Amino acid sequence: MIRKEISKISEVGKALISVEGNPGVALNHVVELLNADTNQSLSFAKAINVNENFTRFQVFNGTQGLSTQTKIRMHEVPLTAGFSHNMLGRSFDGVGDVADGGPEVIFEKQVSTRLDTLNPTVRLVPKQPMWTGIPMIDVFNTLVKSQKIPIFAGPTEPYNRLLSQIAQGAQVDIIIFAGIGLKFDEYHYFKEQLSQSGNIDKTIMFTHLAGDSQIKGLMLPDVALSVAREFADEGKDVLVLLTDMTNWSNILRNVANYQDQIPSLQGYPGSLYSELARRYEVAADVEGAGSITIIGATTLESLEDPVPDNTGYITEGQFFLEKGKLKLARSLSRLKQQVNGSTRGDHRPIMTAMSSLLADAEKAHEAAEVGAANDVFSKKLLRYREDFIANMEEPFGEPIQLEAALDKCWDILRRHFEPSETGLSKKLIDEYWNK
Amino acid sequence: MGNDNKRRSATLISIQDSLVRARFRDNVIMGETAEITVDGKLLQAEVLQIYPDPKNPDAGIVEMQVFEDLTGAQIGDLVEFKGTPLSVLLGPGLLTSIWDGLQNPLYKLGEQGAYLVPGMKAPALDEEKLWDFTPSVKVGDEVKGGDTIGSVPEGRLDHKILVPFSFGRCKVERIVEKKSLNITEVVAVVVDEQKVRHELKLVFRQPVKSPIPFKERIIPSKTISTGVRVIDLLAPVGYGGTVGNPGPFGAGKTVLQHSLCKYALADIIIMAACGERAGEAVEVFKDFAELDDPSTGESLMNRMCIFGNTSSMPVAAREASVFIALSVGEYYRYQGYNVILLADSTSRWAQALRERSGRQGDIPGPEAFPMDIPDQIKGMYQRAGADAGTGGSLTFIGTVSPAGGNFQEPVTQATMDATGGFWGLSQDRADAKKYPAIDPLAYTSSVYDSFIPWADRQKILQTLNEADGIDQTISTIGLKKVPVDKYVLYQKGQTIDFCVMQQDGFQKVDACTRPDRLNIINQAVQKLIDSPIAFPKNGMEDEELKESIKTKFDGLRQWWRDWNSNATSEEQIAVLPEKIEQFILQEEYAL
Repeated sequence: MIRKEISKISEVGKALISVEGNPGVALNHVVELLNADTNQSLSFAKAINVNENFTRFQVFNGTQGLSTQTKIRMHEVPLTAGFSHNMLGRSFDGVGDVADGGPEVIFEKQVSTRLDTLNPTVRLVPKQPMWTGIPMIDVFNTLVKSQKIPIFAGPTEPYNRLLSQIAQGAQVDIIIFAGIGLKFDEYHYFKEQLSQSGNIDKTIMFTHLAGDSQIKGLMLPDVALSVAREFADEGKDVLVLLTDMTNWSNILRNVANYQDQIPSLQGYPGSLYSELARRYEVAADVEGAGSITIIGATTLESLEDPVPDNTGYITEGQFFLEKGKLKLARSLSRLKQQVNGSTRGDHRPIMTAMSSLLADAEKAHEAAEVGAANDVFSKKLLRYREDFIANMEEPFGEPIQLEAALDKCWDILRRHFEPSETGLSKKLIDEYWNK
Repeated sequence: MGNDNKRRSATLISIQDSLVRARFRDNVIMGETAEITVDGKLLQAEVLQIYPDPKNPDAGIVEMQVFEDLTGAQIGDLVEFKGTPLSVLLGPGLLTSIWDGLQNPLYKLGEQGAYLVPGMKAPALDEEKLWDFTPSVKVGDEVKGGDTIGSVPEGRLDHKILVPFSFGRCKVERIVEKKSLNITEVVAVVVDEQKVRHELKLVFRQPVKSPIPFKERIIPSKTISTGVRVIDLLAPVGYGGTVGNPGPFGAGKTVLQHSLCKYALADIIIMAACGERAGEAVEVFKDFAELDDPSTGESLMNRMCIFGNTSSMPVAAREASVFIALSVGEYYRYQGYNVILLADSTSRWAQALRERSGRQGDIPGPEAFPMDIPDQIKGMYQRAGADAGTGGSLTFIGTVSPAGGNFQEPVTQATMDATGGFWGLSQDRADAKKYPAIDPLAYTSSVYDSFIPWADRQKILQTLNEADGIDQTISTIGLKKVPVDKYVLYQKGQTIDFCVMQQDGFQKVDACTRPDRLNIINQAVQKLIDSPIAFPKNGMEDEELKESIKTKFDGLRQWWRDWNSNATSEEQIAVLPEKIEQFILQEEYAL
């Protein structure tokens, strides 16, 4: 097939190029950039702004080395991702090219990366728990199949370790790893962990390392999620790990700035919410098909930063990691109520009672720092808080089954309180306090 | 006006995200809709701006927002103008419907595939379903816009068939007999004063930005029983009122909306899920269908319709979805029904306006929102209201998602200014799992009547306020310095907060409190506040005494919470004030 070629690049910027006039390229269609002398392929690019006076492209491999002489070859299709079952166990870059030095993958088909919205009517209301063996998740913020939930953590927290631990225990058919702006050792860590746990054969890794082309990082979630959707359409339960979406948002910010878009908060484009939502909303349990669960990582300095803030409004809760502990106060699984009513009868009430006591304990802790909180009950609360942090907020211990974790909750309450101080109903106290 | 017989068109000259520009030669009307042919599919658009063409004095340029994904659009693609502004189809069958933001029924679209792809469309209302029409006018009668020509039963509602609101005075030339017909059939022919004949059907289109008029607008006066105690006691809303409901993520906006959907007493609930999670809308239309309407005992869905323009759907349709929902609400208000519109979230709506104005290159206001965002928000809430002429009302409860949970941001501020009630959700209360996390002190305001006397309401607020002050004293200088009487007041405040302000949505009985029960609770609360309690000292030191007081209040609270979830019979309910009486007298009572 002969493809139309043009060669009049008028502007080369960071990650973007423009040509004068419009060569007949449609919005979001892909072109290939070629060395004018050797015809060697340099990169692909996507048309993001189509105008009768100019056409602007995002260049996948970056713009270093491009010149006004560079040739543009039109492909007249939007970006697609290659899909094949042979992708399992392999690593790819942000646009789906093989990145592990192994043999080329023969794709079975090309799939759209447009991430069309799933019709809400084919969604199932999520009702199946995904147990992790981590009490702070299983008891207090139960994870549910098809949930979309990020780990919020400072940049130095072990969020990737937590992500990898959850992934290894997850009851799923396929794991899609989508890493954006990773350091090499992070990539290596995941690969090692997945290999050691025997999960690598059901895993596909899409990786963008810090310093790689920004546009490839920007595309990566769409490519990874499109491949995930193909597996889900086949009936598979898929877990997608998106780390780190703050890196991704920062690329989005950079590219918006290169395009002179008016920033809203801290330089991020006004569309940050919609852009994040389009990716996270791919998580779904679909009638007559499989499911996609998304666990992300969002690094932050402050919860009020635009990325975690917007993410919080999009995702179905968040796991908040601080000083290596999963903090109860700021963690939330919005879907837990769908599943924790059909576990053991004390699950919900003890979760509520312990949370409420911990909130009081945090207040007592603050008071204690200024010398207050000397009364008997405050002292009980302070001891309870210590116990809770050590035994309930620790995510990296041995996995604990739900029932054992609930029993452990009663042990903690019993160690510090009288039954009436817990706010639990008399019926539950009678059933469990002296068990 | 454009020439009706001539098709007016334009060609695309610029495409970016959802904003396009096109060159036209004859005429374009501000706000009219258009269809753009992209890859053989028709995409819907709306005219935003018209200006001269610097390249061609004979042509003009029109700027449009497109409601669907433009992938594949090219320079030169054809635009055809429709002559009518964005509008909504009104008529029987609205109830129980589930649409996207442009009134495409989602179940019908689902028959075409699992994913929503550009160009997909389906008729807004079922065109085959038959309705039993009974005429109420006869040939020769004079009618005008908004007049009733007949009615059909829609579920248990009497759905009036109206002359479209844009019509002037007309004479009925023909009207069908009582019969079953569908929405595509003609029910009447009317002739206007220019002798033009118009065919009327069971349905008509109404421009979404033209409010449907009131007959006789009045100030909301009747309080809605929402079932949520903190609202009905301290921050009530009247039929026809407006409420802003801001809260940081995780503070419980969605749970509160769902609770209102289930328990608020109204004829109709409209849910505009605007730019929010798809899963939440799905939960409503899949799980709530199995719940009972609190007034009728029928399926809850029978009183609902849902606009599910969720967060991954095209941003431009978000603005449309809220206005479409408002128009449906006004339509039923005009029919004499009490309608509650829940818009979740108005911040996403405002963000859609921000995205658009950014693309249009407008000079940004605070946080890059359009400069006129406060006026737009006010204009939207103003469409709610009560109508004495029809007996209907439209109540508008909008959630706000402030960036960073900061209530000083432009949308929250404008909403506070625009609404009559304000339910501020607090992060601290949510963190402490005190639900619903409406902070009764910091952010509650309301101009509406409540089920309890104004003085009682003030007394509760004052007690909570004082208890909060004592709480802060305890936190800073310790319990020791707090006198015993103040400590008792603090415990009273804690008890009201724990047993009355907080509510367990998962306990069947506790989830919803109606006015009769609320009155008994209020009696108990007032008694508790008013009466000094003589705790026996028995020679105890202050510290020990306070500990014993706390233990007693702990016991009372545990009892009260059990009462909240278990007391159902009249006798069981009546026990509460007696229990408080005993507690005040410190008589022995059985736990």
